[in-house]
Amino acid sequence: MKKRLIYSLASLFLLFTLGSGLSMLYTYRISHDLESVINLHRIEIVRQSFVINIQNVQSNLYATGTVFGKELDTIVDNVSAMDDSIQNCLNCHHNPEMTERLNNVHNVVEQYKDAISYLVTSTANEARIERLKMVAVGIGDSLLAKTQEMATIADKTLRNRTIEAVKAIKKSRVILVITLAVSLVLALGIAATLTRQITAPVYELVNAARMIASGKVGYKTGYTDNTEFGEVANSFNAMSTALQAEHDKTEHYIEQLSGLYKVTLSFYDIFEMEQAFQEICTNISDILKVKQTILLLFDEKQKIYTPFASAGQTSAGLRTAMQMPLEKVVDLYQKSEGRPVIINDTGQAELFRALVPEEEHEQNMMLAWLNTKEKILGAIRVSDKNGYFTDEDSKILIILANHMAVAMENADLYRNLQNNMAELRETQEQLIQSAKLAAIGELASNVAHEINNPLTSIIGFAELSKEDDDIESIRMSLDIIEKESLRARDIVKQLLGFARKKPLHLTEVDINAVVKEVVVFSSSQTRMGKVRVTEEYSSIPTTTGDIDQLKQVFLNIITNAIHAMPDGGGLAIRTFTMGEYILISFSDTGQGISREVRHRIFEPFFSTKKEKGTGLGLSISYRIIQDHLGRIDVESESGKGTTFTVRLPQKPPAKTA
Amino acid sequence: MNRRNFLIQIIFLLLFLVFPARVFAEEEILIGLIPEENIFTQMDRHRPLAAYLTKKLGTRVRFTILSRYGDVLDRFMSRKMDGAFFGVFTSVLAMEQLNAEPIVHPVNLDGSSAVQSYIFVRKDSNIQGVQDMKGKRIAFVDKATVTGYLYTLSFLRERGVQDPKVFFSDISFTGSHGSTIYAVLDGRADIGTAKSKIFHQLAKKEFSIKEELTILAKSREFPDSTLFLRKDLPPAIRLQIRDILLSMDKDAEGREVLKKLESMMFVEAKKSDFQPFFEIAQKAGIVVKTYKYK
Repeated sequence: MKKRLIYSLASLFLLFTLGSGLSMLYTYRISHDLESVINLHRIEIVRQSFVINIQNVQSNLYATGTVFGKELDTIVDNVSAMDDSIQNCLNCHHNPEMTERLNNVHNVVEQYKDAISYLVTSTANEARIERLKMVAVGIGDSLLAKTQEMATIADKTLRNRTIEAVKAIKKSRVILVITLAVSLVLALGIAATLTRQITAPVYELVNAARMIASGKVGYKTGYTDNTEFGEVANSFNAMSTALQAEHDKTEHYIEQLSGLYKVTLSFYDIFEMEQAFQEICTNISDILKVKQTILLLFDEKQKIYTPFASAGQTSAGLRTAMQMPLEKVVDLYQKSEGRPVIINDTGQAELFRALVPEEEHEQNMMLAWLNTKEKILGAIRVSDKNGYFTDEDSKILIILANHMAVAMENADLYRNLQNNMAELRETQEQLIQSAKLAAIGELASNVAHEINNPLTSIIGFAELSKEDDDIESIRMSLDIIEKESLRARDIVKQLLGFARKKPLHLTEVDINAVVKEVVVFSSSQTRMGKVRVTEEYSSIPTTTGDIDQLKQVFLNIITNAIHAMPDGGGLAIRTFTMGEYILISFSDTGQGISREVRHRIFEPFFSTKKEKGTGLGLSISYRIIQDHLGRIDVESESGKGTTFTVRLPQKPPAKTA
Repeated sequence: MNRRNFLIQIIFLLLFLVFPARVFAEEEILIGLIPEENIFTQMDRHRPLAAYLTKKLGTRVRFTILSRYGDVLDRFMSRKMDGAFFGVFTSVLAMEQLNAEPIVHPVNLDGSSAVQSYIFVRKDSNIQGVQDMKGKRIAFVDKATVTGYLYTLSFLRERGVQDPKVFFSDISFTGSHGSTIYAVLDGRADIGTAKSKIFHQLAKKEFSIKEELTILAKSREFPDSTLFLRKDLPPAIRLQIRDILLSMDKDAEGREVLKKLESMMFVEAKKSDFQPFFEIAQKAGIVVKTYKYK
């Protein structure tokens, strides 16, 4: 291509030079012709000047008498000018004929000068002087005649030369136009050919590159020639072949990796041992392209290593041969120094003859150990590979063996973990059962204690009434008995209320209105307890809920707050929204709740108020809010107060139970 | 400054602007040439000298042809010439009648500064002496030239020819030495007389002169043409011209001009150089002061 470029550029240069040369040649010819015509005109001017000078001298001769005075200077000047004219003529290049004519004229001029000089300087009578003058004038006339004759010839020559020059100019113009046109066409042709020769292989190579980019690795361009592009195409094809080889290798690796992945997938199911090991053997055969794969594992019962799974057509003889006692395996392991054993020629097994039974006539064999830090778990044995085993094969087998060993170890660990977990679960269930019994015991104790008090009063006043005769006193005792009985009934009711969930009666609820109503309802309590209530209601959406149960929750929290501030204090109630929830917070300035108590406040019958409470208020409240798909949070700091925050969803609960 | 003085100054200023050269400097120095050969050739020969003098003097110097010997002195005066190259006879006339001063005269290339008069005929004319000249046509240069007339006249008288008009069939005055030579060469005259210097100058260009002409007699030597300047020319200019001419062989440009004149150099001319003329004049029976040369 370099040569083509050089040749093309040289051709263009030659074309340009040729065109320029022709243009210069014809320009030179035209200018030469024009110069020639101009010269002829110049000669004509010289001739006319010569004629004028002769005529001047002639007129001088006619005008002057026989005595020459000052006018002689004019004659001398005119003759000198005439002489210069003819000298100019002689100095020009002329053809021989013209030169002869000019020499002839020059001779006559010399005669003319002699005659004039003779006339001017002669001392003679008038007749002689007149005769001399006539001689001079005659020569002058003949000079004019000769000059005129030359003028006629010169005029003819001038006309012919002008016609020739015009013809030459026209011809030159045509040739120049043709030259330019031909040069343009040839230059375009060369440029187009050159461009095609450059772009065609480039397109071909670009196309080939695109083919490869689109995935057709190994694609070869069919472009061939002897230029640099041909070399590039050959290099490209070589590159494509190399790429194909690399691609095949990569594919092979991917296939191996895929196989490895497949094998490792089997490791997840290693708990289904027999099936998993069978799959692993089959996959190893596929990856390593071997005819037989045997997995040897240690049999704890028989204390021997025995084939556990296999792939391919493994003979019974081989399986038997591969049953080896622990000592033998350890011996082989030590001989191999724990590394894989590769025997590509079974006739040369030497130290590892035990691994290659002769009667099996295997072509080649490779074995990798499955071992942990503590023990040899077994081995993977592959044989009859088409060709021979490579280091690469051994590396793959090592990876598989290592993975398998780790998987088996993990399987053992997992099995142990499962056993431990089962034991733990059993213990936990026993603990839960114990806790349930303890809770029931405590509940029963609490119920018994709660009910025991009114029953003791009832029994006491009933016995008093038996012995009392005073009707008033008996009536008073009966009132007390009634009162205590009602108290016992309330306790039982509450207990039933806690044990049996009350169904929710859902209606649209304006939380702000509910809170305000509860605050008004508890105002006498707060006033008596010297609690200053501040309220801050935000614009919150209505929700769906059970108004009565919600009132019970808010009243319970407010009552607890009043009880938490026996010496009075402040209670800040605030409603607001956060995300998709409506929040109602109740912050008191009481003593606060300790961490231990805080964990238990929602337990049933847990109370810090001694005789004042049953310990069921917050438990019931907690359940009510849970039924509304909300929750109650408690934040408290000892000595600074407590904040109960009720969180209810803006969207109403879908269920009513 | 009063008004009258101002007007006088304005007038002087105008005069200066209109006639600056005439009032303050020589406008042109005009030098005449006696026609010794073809006047156009002679003018060509002297043009470089005019340019040289113009350059050196700083004043234009121009040569003019004094058409005929006979008119030389009249023309010299009528044309108010500043100087002229005169022949022997005209030099004497200039000294006697115009009181002009000889300045320089050229030295020929062969080292000689004198000229002779030649009497010549065509070789094929069969004229070998004065006896053969009777009835023939003779061409002189002019009556006012020694080498072109006076010597031949004395030569003829010495040989018994008292009246040339009777002795010759035709007498013509060609006006120049060159014309006389060509008149004999061309056969327009049988006998001719001319200055030796011109004869040899022409012979170099025209070989037929030596081939076809033969010299019958040669005179004694006379001073060559001499430059005279008018007596009333400012002495400074006169001396300047003289010095330029005397030293022009010292520089290359001057030597080129001298070469064109076919001279080696100029040497100073003295009145005593013209003494031989008077002997010839006596022999020719001429009294210079009364000689009718026209």
